[in-house]
Amino acid sequence: MNDPRSESELDALFASARERRPDTSAVEFAFETRLMARLRSARSVESIWAKVSWRMIPVFAACVMALAIWHARVIADTDEAEQVAYMENPQALDSLTYLN
Amino acid sequence: MVIEESSTPDEQLVEATLAGDDHAFAELARRHKNRVFGVAARFARDAAELEDICQEVFVQAYFKLRQFRRDSPFEHWVLRITTHKCYDYLRKRRRDGPAISVDALLESGYEPRAPEPHAPHPDLERLHAALAQLSPKERLVITLLELEERSIQEIAGLTGWSTANVKVRAFRARAALRKLMENPS
Repeated sequence: MNDPRSESELDALFASARERRPDTSAVEFAFETRLMARLRSARSVESIWAKVSWRMIPVFAACVMALAIWHARVIADTDEAEQVAYMENPQALDSLTYLN
Repeated sequence: MVIEESSTPDEQLVEATLAGDDHAFAELARRHKNRVFGVAARFARDAAELEDICQEVFVQAYFKLRQFRRDSPFEHWVLRITTHKCYDYLRKRRRDGPAISVDALLESGYEPRAPEPHAPHPDLERLHAALAQLSPKERLVITLLELEERSIQEIAGLTGWSTANVKVRAFRARAALRKLMENPS
């Protein structure tokens, strides 16, 4: 059960705090000017990133193609190496079939 | 586009901003800054933090303006952003731990402010100290309810919580606050 005295004390404190609204006029002064300056700089940073990311698209595409070619070559080399190894020593590879 | 800004409705200023008119957005900020500062000042620790919160509110409003649906006034939308920003600041403050020491502040070149013209009431100091110890959600809900005199429905709209959730959080926040006021240690 709440103590009614402390409840009313709390209500009185809230009422008092409501009356003493913080004075923000000093911080509000010329706020729009500072805000627009910040927006301009934020926009320029954003546009730089947008330009850079668009210009990097061919580089990313080239990287992806290079990776794909490299991957295809690695697979081909591996198949070839397995065939050579089998031809040189078929027993050694057949003995590994229990692993499958 | 040249428009008579002082008498132009908010909706028209929003359209003009979306069309690339920065002056229109400056006018929107000028119109609504007082309400935004009023709410944010209840949560900010100092003038610098207050400025940061309010700038972030309007920067977000500017970049998300296309998401503003015209079904409610622009002011409600901006106050919703303000509430979320204040909550983010409260959470960040809680995560970062206690404020830096006085020695560290003085070493960094900080100069203490001149004393305020009206000496703060000792009981109000106690209330603010207790509010600072509440969890971010509790502090947010009790501040909006008791200091900003918002209704439960309004708080639900500002925070995105259900009305039942707001009621429960407000009840718990008040109980926690009372406990902190009775036993400050």
